[in-house]
Amino acid sequence: MEKLTHNEVVMLLLQLATMLFLARVFAEIARKFKQPAVVGEILAGILIGPTILGTFFPEGFEFLFRSYPMSNIALAGYSQVAVVLLLFIAGLEVDLNLVFSQGKRALNISFYGLVIPFAFGFTAPFFFAEFFGFSEGDKLLFSLFMGTAMAISALPVIVRTLMDLNLFKSRMGMMIVSAAMVDDIIGWMIFSVILSFMGKEAGGIGIGYTILLTVGFTAFMVTVGKSLINRVLPWINKRLAWPGGLISLSLAACFFAAAFTEFIGLHAIFGAFVIGIAIGDSEHMTERAKEIIHQFVNNIFAPVFFVAIGLKVNFIANFDPWLVLVVILVAYAGKVIGCGFGALQGKLDKYEALAIGFGMNARGAMEIILGLIALENGLITEKLFVALVVMALVTSMTSGPLMRWAMNKRKEGLE
Amino acid sequence: MRIVADSFSEFILGRQAEMGRDKRLFACSTCLNPEKTRISRTNTFAMYKKLALAIAFSPRMEALIAEARKLIQIFEGELVLIHVGTKTPELETQLDEILSRHCGDLERIKTIWKEGKPAKTILKTCEEEKVDLLVLGALKKEGLLTYYVGSVARKVIRKATCSVLTMIEPKIETTHFSKVVINGTELEITPRVIARGLKFCKAEQSTQVHILNEIKMYGFKMATAAEGNEAEVANTRRKLVQEEIDYVQGILDSLEPTDLKINIKVTAGKWAVELVRFCESIESDLLIMGVEQGFSFIDRIFPHDIEDVLIELPCNLLIVK
Repeated sequence: MEKLTHNEVVMLLLQLATMLFLARVFAEIARKFKQPAVVGEILAGILIGPTILGTFFPEGFEFLFRSYPMSNIALAGYSQVAVVLLLFIAGLEVDLNLVFSQGKRALNISFYGLVIPFAFGFTAPFFFAEFFGFSEGDKLLFSLFMGTAMAISALPVIVRTLMDLNLFKSRMGMMIVSAAMVDDIIGWMIFSVILSFMGKEAGGIGIGYTILLTVGFTAFMVTVGKSLINRVLPWINKRLAWPGGLISLSLAACFFAAAFTEFIGLHAIFGAFVIGIAIGDSEHMTERAKEIIHQFVNNIFAPVFFVAIGLKVNFIANFDPWLVLVVILVAYAGKVIGCGFGALQGKLDKYEALAIGFGMNARGAMEIILGLIALENGLITEKLFVALVVMALVTSMTSGPLMRWAMNKRKEGLE
Repeated sequence: MRIVADSFSEFILGRQAEMGRDKRLFACSTCLNPEKTRISRTNTFAMYKKLALAIAFSPRMEALIAEARKLIQIFEGELVLIHVGTKTPELETQLDEILSRHCGDLERIKTIWKEGKPAKTILKTCEEEKVDLLVLGALKKEGLLTYYVGSVARKVIRKATCSVLTMIEPKIETTHFSKVVINGTELEITPRVIARGLKFCKAEQSTQVHILNEIKMYGFKMATAAEGNEAEVANTRRKLVQEEIDYVQGILDSLEPTDLKINIKVTAGKWAVELVRFCESIESDLLIMGVEQGFSFIDRIFPHDIEDVLIELPCNLLIVK
């Protein structure tokens, strides 16, 4: 078996240490300003990446991230595992129970909250493709991607905001959460279809077949797969070490599903996401085990992944203010109008509708993951990627304050 | 019997430490002072004036009639027997024999024989007769086929406009529902379920009532809360538990006092599954819950809420409407 040399090992460990350390420092600073950790982690990456360190201390950047290509490959492997795990926990968070018990109103919000942002995201790049940095390839695929990027939401940011505002348990909170879950499931399904088409124009598999695979895999996992999991988990909980058995075997299942979807032509993250839903929905996957997996991924894998984002792109050189502004505007308009309209349809009042729109607007980590995969597959340019990351951060940072503002307005109106 | 599920022991880590209780037991989050607990005083025993029993001439029929007789005695109501099927002299004689054994002293008793689809006919008759409580027998566990196609009990529970008491082990020598569990999960119907449930428990002279509430998405909430420091995280944990206790306590405070012994318990995980686990672990006699309207085949493919309870009834079940 190939192995890293002594120096490469030292470098890999040094990279991990630097990334984890700085991620923590900046996450703490973000926390002081009541912002999600991901904001700090991205900033840490920008600091030690080509943007700052590479510009002002090129030797330092060269030494840390350019001197040993093999260490970088190992680091890329770590990031790959991290993104699979991030999607796995995103799947664990989806509570089908909650979705089904919320009824029509939540469906209204999720439907309009998906379709309208998708339409906005699709239309703008379709007609102004060059402005969005599209040069060659399939314009339809590119527009579809932008539609998906606008439709997706970041559940962790939403949940955190709702908890801070004491709204989680309210009818509105439950509606937002379940609507976001539905949008995420559909969003990742669409993205999975788009991904399987990237770079496969010649002799690729048909669109009908890809959709069938995606829908079929999802349907199979949440029905048959879930009932199998429901049978196996009690045995694991009872016979094996707890929570060790449960955690290592669910992660094994996660990697297996990721490998399987990658093998059949869908992206690995899709398999991880869907098996996350199936495992998370089992009543035998206890809340405590979920909490441990969340902590483990959020604090060990996720920081390195998000810092690595900053290493890939020069955020200043690729910062196109007009593009950033337009992407942000399209993002806000789509979600606020879409979800707000859905909420109004469900007979909620004006400010509640606004609050729901602002809440669902948070894109957070999921947008960044989506953007990175599109960048790596050559679907989008670095400029658009930077715009998407900035949009993800801005929407996440403003989600809480804007929601608070709307709820206060509503309170004033009621008094 | 299933041993205490870990999702139970997990639910209140902070709380357990505080209370110094056995970690394998559920934390008894709050034991209420009986004098302070309230339930409605008026008409306690007249909550179900007209009681119907669906009979099918099964081996359990006599036991079901005995159980219905016991309830009639408690609620001082009248009894309607509903049989869906052909009326034959043999069946009539058989029924008369049983009735004379158990309900000989009852003046107001009516037997209705009707033909048609069981669930539909039972539901229609209950409406026509303005029944307050329908009693029926049910199997503890439904077969896979019955599960997807639907049993009589399941249809009746879903669609009845009156309350429904489903008995899985009716006995000729009846006993009281001593250990009762009430679903205190935050739902629109919950205040009514608790109020009616406690009335029922009082009438039944239950010795112990547990009201279970849940923390929704506990693991995920704690994971997002982990952006705080140690004290903040512990505080969030406490707050999550306290909020759920306060919800139930708020409902109890709005009711008239009672001398029932009531415990509020908080769980994490799917509430319906946790209710079943809890009922099994304490070997409860009765589970009281409400039921939401609107139900489709999809709900059976993706079972949730009450479907999780109906898959395998842990004990007798009272559905409050």
